[in-house]
Amino acid sequence: MDFDIRPYDFALATRSWLMLAGALTVICLALALVLSVARNGARGIGIFTSGLKSYLDDLVSISPRRILALTNLTLKEAIRRKALLVFVAFAVLLMFAGWFLTDANERPELQVSVHVTFLLTAISWLILPAVIFLSVWALPEDIRIRSLHTVVTKPARRLEIVLGRMTGLGIVAITMLVVMGVVGLGWLYRAIPSTSRSALECRVPLFGELFFITADGQPADKGLNVGDVWAYRSHIAGNTRARAVWVFPGFNESALTTNEQGEKDLLLECRFEAFRTIKGSEASIKKGIEAQYTISHNPREEAFGSLSQSESLRPLADALRDGQFRNAADRMKELAQRMRTAPDELRPQDYAGLQFGLTIAGALLKEMKNDSFGDVPDAFIAASTAGQDLIIQLRRKAETQSREAVSHEEFAATLDRVAAGLAENADGLLEGMPRTEVPLPHFHVSEYHDGEESINVTAVPQTLRFVADYETLARFLARIVDEWNAQGKLLDGSSLKPGLAETLASEAKISQLNAERFVEVLQEQLTAGTVQVADNQLKVANGKTWFIFLDELIRGEKLVSQDPQGWMIEKDLMKDMAPNGYLRVEVACVNDQMYLGMARPDLFIRKANQSFAVGYSKALINISLMLLLIIVLGVTVSCIVKGPVALFFTLTFFLVGQFFHEFMLRKLSGVEQGMGTFESAVLLAQHRNPQVGMDVSETAQAVVKGADKGLEGVLWAFSNIVPDFTIFNRASAYVENRFDVPLMECVIPAIVVFFGFLLPCILISGALLKFRELESK
Amino acid sequence: MSDAVIEIRNLSKIYRDFWGRKKVQAVKSLSLDVMKGEVFGLLGPNGSGKTTTMKMLLGLLFPTSGEMKILGKPASDVSKNEKIGYLPEESYLYRFLNADETLDFYGRLFNMTAAERNRRADELIEMVGLGKARRRQLKEYSKGMTRRIGLAQALINDPDLVLLDEPTSGLDPIGTREMKDLIVQLKAQGKTVVMCSHQLADVQDVCDRIAVLFQGELKVLGRVDELLEMRNEMQIRTSALSDEAVADIRKVLEKHNIKDAEFSRPRADLEQLFLRTVRESGERPGRRFSTEEVAASGRKS
Ligand SMILES: Nc1ncnc2c1ncn2[C@@H]1O[C@H](COP(=O)(O)OP(=O)(O)OP(=O)(O)O)[C@@H](O)[C@H]1O
Ligand SMILES: [Mg+2]
Repeated sequence: MDFDIRPYDFALATRSWLMLAGALTVICLALALVLSVARNGARGIGIFTSGLKSYLDDLVSISPRRILALTNLTLKEAIRRKALLVFVAFAVLLMFAGWFLTDANERPELQVSVHVTFLLTAISWLILPAVIFLSVWALPEDIRIRSLHTVVTKPARRLEIVLGRMTGLGIVAITMLVVMGVVGLGWLYRAIPSTSRSALECRVPLFGELFFITADGQPADKGLNVGDVWAYRSHIAGNTRARAVWVFPGFNESALTTNEQGEKDLLLECRFEAFRTIKGSEASIKKGIEAQYTISHNPREEAFGSLSQSESLRPLADALRDGQFRNAADRMKELAQRMRTAPDELRPQDYAGLQFGLTIAGALLKEMKNDSFGDVPDAFIAASTAGQDLIIQLRRKAETQSREAVSHEEFAATLDRVAAGLAENADGLLEGMPRTEVPLPHFHVSEYHDGEESINVTAVPQTLRFVADYETLARFLARIVDEWNAQGKLLDGSSLKPGLAETLASEAKISQLNAERFVEVLQEQLTAGTVQVADNQLKVANGKTWFIFLDELIRGEKLVSQDPQGWMIEKDLMKDMAPNGYLRVEVACVNDQMYLGMARPDLFIRKANQSFAVGYSKALINISLMLLLIIVLGVTVSCIVKGPVALFFTLTFFLVGQFFHEFMLRKLSGVEQGMGTFESAVLLAQHRNPQVGMDVSETAQAVVKGADKGLEGVLWAFSNIVPDFTIFNRASAYVENRFDVPLMECVIPAIVVFFGFLLPCILISGALLKFRELESK
Repeated sequence: MSDAVIEIRNLSKIYRDFWGRKKVQAVKSLSLDVMKGEVFGLLGPNGSGKTTTMKMLLGLLFPTSGEMKILGKPASDVSKNEKIGYLPEESYLYRFLNADETLDFYGRLFNMTAAERNRRADELIEMVGLGKARRRQLKEYSKGMTRRIGLAQALINDPDLVLLDEPTSGLDPIGTREMKDLIVQLKAQGKTVVMCSHQLADVQDVCDRIAVLFQGELKVLGRVDELLEMRNEMQIRTSALSDEAVADIRKVLEKHNIKDAEFSRPRADLEQLFLRTVRESGERPGRRFSTEEVAASGRKS
């Protein structure tokens, strides 16, 4: 399994629960009515209503004291029947486990995993049989030796008997679990060699969303497939523009950890797959393939990236993404023109892609709430609406095959409006949508052999120092000039302050050489008159902003770094790179002809570790919920059938819920390939393959397929009635792999599932016990 | 409505197997009433449907047809159990509990407070004579002891209606005697008792009215004294007579045309003998009784 945390859809769960519970109620009532009438004839209806009334009466007259008495009874029974002997088995297991588990040569993480897995498995598989047997045997045995007769002839409601049994067995199970859990924790600390004990931790991951950028720079859902049958991971090619991009929503201060020096770090943990097309040098084989993280903040990519979906819009999208808004305006105008003159040159998917891109761009631009964008956001939204109308008209035309021409004029006009807006507000847009990319040092991903995956943990300091690209540098310097202007720190009269380079170097944290170069360039521009002094401030002569001015200078290679390290600047990870609460991390493969494979859970942010005991307790909570659910099911089933049969049913429920639940869902949702049961049987008998199909008459085919449909219905019902037991073990798997157990995604859903089953089970078992004759054998 | 505590109308019960096929008809349109304050005996040979009837009254079994009211409520109503005490045919108790725990458990089922439960348990254990064994688990009990604790649990709630299924089975004669005394005592307290038995002597001693079932059908229903009175016979009882006296009496009888008179010494019934022996053994331990002595003491008593 992977440790990908997927949110649990509570609303959906509640909705399907209500639907199923409603259906179940109706079915049960109808069934009861039919049975009653079948048994008693016309009197049956009266018997049914009075039975229902007395059942409802029972519900309201439940007495805690009586339930407690029955709970007590169950506890005494369990103790006097020596159920607690499981503790002996547990103790023996732990005593001798050491012989098989310790191997001081293993990696610490593996040692910890082995021990924790052993412990959690031992606990659940020791209590499980005890609990199944107790729950399945208690009531039938009570009925068989008729001790229940004496109880039900007291005012004890049968519902209370069921409740008392369930509670009592639940307490037994939880007691066993708590005792074993505490003893087990102590054992863990003793049994794991001291050298490995530090790996006894619960990592807290923050997972992101993954998408790819192809080698030609376009966004895509998937990367390359290097020929794996199980295409779990997608690959990116080395030394191209291909990237894997993770976006971590919900990124904030809490995602950082404090390192030994007391500074805040961002920890990135990854386990990628290395795939080579050539062996490479021996050194490279030993070190692995080189990879590189880039932390980027890129609103332009987000706003305009989706426009590049269709080929013919690429130039437009690229211009927008590069911040060349005037160029983009021209291309937009061209597009509008083409739409007027040769509308059929653009294919339907181009229109759809364009409309989609416009929608995204409009929404995101609007969200940025930047006044210097003018009416561009609204223009995009208007264009998206017009595009929508046009698409609807085109579709209608295609459906009715009418020859009437559809006017593209309206859409084209809105595009013109966008173009005009882009041209007019080009500088404002560029200024308002900064792209910052912080490349991090390379790291190595080695190929993994046999279970040993190469895990890399990279610590990224909160204050990033990196070589700025042109755009970032221009923004950085422009901000300094603006701020210092305002504080009057730049000028001394009508000339630059003496010693400006030194203060710049120390306060803006840039190198002395670069600071001197910058001051030098400012002086040159002042002399040349492109920069002037007005109102005691340094101003750009043609009225442009400092960013635009400096950007042009830098692009003109007028501000080349004198420092061999380049233009090193500082940025804050939180403030500068994730101002909107999400972090974007790009991964590139550096080596030519090598590939890196990755899937969504392969990279995550590691938050501060949770203490092991907490994660372990959460796993125990989930195990206890599983045990409780089994008790509830066992008791429910045992209300109507005898011990062995109840055992069979409960085990079936458990095994199916544990091992086949996912399969059932996959089968139902059509992910799992294959024919229906009956069709397969016919094919098998006829020695034919699925492509050829059955060699039978059409009616016979219909019958076989109908039967398969019916079976599918049964499977559907089954998949909804059998609880998904994997939800309970998932918590253990997290802890075994040294992860913390996510509360909302793993513990709470388990609780919800448990209660979802508890309520109907109590009601059903109460009814089953009430309306059966205790005598019949 | 009059004082009927139990009303049974046309009650039938057919036992069926898993497939719904008829196995036995255990009760056939039974109708009877049990009045408040009386001791009612349900008689019949083994398998005549006594237990089945009782279980239907308690709601353990569902009747195939017919109506029942018990304490004015339908048999399926659990709340009627508040005022009912039931001693099953065999004591179906939890064998891993001891006597105290057993009574405490059933007391809780009546929602009794702890103080009430303790008081009642002490009383009942005293009454059924299990004082020495109250801390022992029921699985160590002899049959009679189990029966006694069964009786105690039936009375835990001070019921108005007591249903006893073969109350004397498994009891020694002292126990039997005590049981009968208890039934009389319950009656004196104004409670209604329904008991099943095929031990006619027991029934005869305590019951006001009886019903005799045979293969599920009601054969006889009436007051015991009326049912047992034999109108065409007369019994005379005197102290021992000499042979001449007997001959004289015969002559007198012959004069009245009675030729089939029977003369014999009455015998104590075995129950009485047993009771006496046990009683006197208690008074004079270590002694064995000769036949004469036993007979003599029989005359004395
Ligand atoms: N659970 C059962 N299933 C099938 N038949 C039953 C069942 N219980 C009783 N019977 C049958 O019903 C009839 C009446 O049984 P019941 O136990 O009521 O007799 P009883 O009068 O109490 O006899 P006893 O004096 O032996 O206790 C018998 O023929 C018996 O075999
Ligand atoms: Mg019987």
